[in-house]
Amino acid sequence: MTYFPDEVVEHIFDFLVSHRDRNAVSTVCKAWYQVERLSRRSVFVGNCYSVLPERVMTRFPGMKCLIVKGKPHFADFNLVPHDWGGFALPWIEAAAHGCPGLEELRLKRMVVSDESLELLARSFPDLKALVLISCEGFSTDGLAAIATHCRSLRELDLQENEVEDYGRQWLSCFPDSCTTLVSLNFSCLKGEVNAGALERLVARCPSLRGLKLNRAVSVESLTRILDRAPQLVELGTGSLTVDHHSEAYRRMINTFHKCKLLRNLSGFWDVDPRCLQSVYPVCPNLTVLNLSYAPSIQGADQVKLIRHCFKLQKLWVLDCIGDKGLAVVASTCKQLQELRVFPSDIYGTGTAAVTEEGLVAVSSGCSKMNSLLYFCHQMTNAALITVAKNCPRFIRFRLCILDPGKPDPITNQPLDEGFGAIVQSCKDLRRLSLSGLLTDKVFLYIGEYAARLEMLSIAFAGDSDKGMIYVLNGCKNLRKLEIRDSPFGDAALLENVGKYETMRSLWMSSCDVTLGGCKALAAKMPRLNVEVINEGDESDEMEENPSDAHKVEKMYVYRTLAGPRNEAPDFVWTL
Amino acid sequence: MGDQSNSPSSSIDSSSHPALCSTSSIFQTRRDLLSTDLKLGLGLSTSALHGCSSKEREQLSHWPPIKPLLRSTLEEKVHRSHSKTFFVKVYMEGLPIGRKLDLLSHNGYDSLMRTLRRMFRTTITCPDTSRVPPEKAHVLTYEDEEGDWMMVGDVPWEFFLRTVKRLKITRADKC
Repeated sequence: MTYFPDEVVEHIFDFLVSHRDRNAVSTVCKAWYQVERLSRRSVFVGNCYSVLPERVMTRFPGMKCLIVKGKPHFADFNLVPHDWGGFALPWIEAAAHGCPGLEELRLKRMVVSDESLELLARSFPDLKALVLISCEGFSTDGLAAIATHCRSLRELDLQENEVEDYGRQWLSCFPDSCTTLVSLNFSCLKGEVNAGALERLVARCPSLRGLKLNRAVSVESLTRILDRAPQLVELGTGSLTVDHHSEAYRRMINTFHKCKLLRNLSGFWDVDPRCLQSVYPVCPNLTVLNLSYAPSIQGADQVKLIRHCFKLQKLWVLDCIGDKGLAVVASTCKQLQELRVFPSDIYGTGTAAVTEEGLVAVSSGCSKMNSLLYFCHQMTNAALITVAKNCPRFIRFRLCILDPGKPDPITNQPLDEGFGAIVQSCKDLRRLSLSGLLTDKVFLYIGEYAARLEMLSIAFAGDSDKGMIYVLNGCKNLRKLEIRDSPFGDAALLENVGKYETMRSLWMSSCDVTLGGCKALAAKMPRLNVEVINEGDESDEMEENPSDAHKVEKMYVYRTLAGPRNEAPDFVWTL
Repeated sequence: MGDQSNSPSSSIDSSSHPALCSTSSIFQTRRDLLSTDLKLGLGLSTSALHGCSSKEREQLSHWPPIKPLLRSTLEEKVHRSHSKTFFVKVYMEGLPIGRKLDLLSHNGYDSLMRTLRRMFRTTITCPDTSRVPPEKAHVLTYEDEEGDWMMVGDVPWEFFLRTVKRLKITRADKC
């Protein structure tokens, strides 16, 4: 490569889109490392504690887009204590000093304070995109700062964040000169927004393609917004409660008729089932439909709606759709690639839900399926084997049987064979979540066949250390392993310690790992942070020198170049 | 749906699982407790969870693995379907004695206004009518969860139900 000048090498690298490819070429030789790092525009940091922010800024001074992820995935289900960490401020401070050209910031599962949002807004007045997913720690004051100072903002995308509401004026902070918005999502905000300010903002942003409203936006306001922005491609409705005999309802239907470009529909907060017909005009063009926040829609109404959606590629619904409803999906949505069926009855009061039948129906009808998240009451090996045969293209397969450890109800056997069929058939499987009664055997299959598996989630599964060992020794491409409530102990943890340096992280909670085991791991692998998380406020034993035989409630292990973190809270011990 | 009375442990034949030892029986106990938790639903019986530390109980509540926004949406629907009434106090300016009104017996603002007009025998104007209200007319206001007094009718009905604490009918010229 000494034959090519740097500009040519850089041009060749431009064709490398994925972070992994760019990471790979940068290890070839010093020259390539240099060319690559100076031309890298988008940087992805999968674990915010794996590297110091300053180091990232120094290495990639030309960075335009920074993506950082904080807390481990199980934080979504409240398994990680609230103040564990994952702060955005150090990253924003480092970027303000080291990468003034930053245009896009995307954060997931991080703690973002109003102070950091204000720093971001003032340091990067030309910020083009801010995406916050499952974050917390900020309020509408922080949003006001972004709106005020980022005068050429194109994308403000707030997905499932916990946001404190201090008033509705943040939207009014977008100056009249702000006309560049392409995508705005504030669906997770609980409070009111200034309807007039919202409508004026929409009116002056002709490039607006995506808009996701929150529950506080009325039908009347939605109608006025859609009248100004019939070019929307993505829409999250506000509250869809309106008297279906009223003028307001009629006007809403007329407006939906004009939205010829609408492809992605979500929201449906507080929807009155009788109002669902208003969206029928847009259904035939929809590729994405999310009904998962509408528990008031019965299965029959969901089905009536879906019958119009024959171009659907992605569908998120609640399990009240039922097996029969899924059969309708199977016969209508031939282009379906991703299906998510969420539970609607989390207290087990015994209302209708889905079983293996629904899944089998969808797998027979929708051969393009590649991504699944399915909460159900039961599953059989036979069904999983059929699904594996029908849909060999699964990339993501996440099954959650609501009764943990439940066997195949017909044969009373564990579901080892069913999941075994999935991993054998789906050679491109990258993500897998297991549930139901499972022995060590399923892990033998996973270790042997799931060559491309990158993320594995285990809950209430396995019999012995052997299960975890099969996985650690087998899955070459494993990056993230998260385990809860499974009988894996120190022997499994310490069997293949080198493996953890090839992975991003390991989470184990309510397993059989002891403090001694964690200490041993930390001693052997200095480039890992072995964090033991103790929230025990009731048991004094944990306070004063607990014995090494003491079982560890929660453990998080990750590779890092940054050493132990200095801002970890008291209840996190880095060994 | 299936029969939920089969607990996982009863379906494991110990002869086919020679590896069953004390660790996996603890693990089964956790599964049983979780199933019990699910079966008992909202009416958690403390006797069934006896012997379970509060930490374990907290752990058991992190199931099924769904995100907080979905969980709160579903919980709200359960609470709503369980509570059949929602009475709030209603005062009219000038009258020392107030009334009580069940908001859940109404399906929207129109219905609420009709009831109030009947209860207090006065005209109540809505914020979106363009008529200039005569001196004798009143407007309806409400106290929200932050303690602020707001005009009724600006936000969606469902949203209003979540934030309203009490109602007050005041003279139109005060607003």
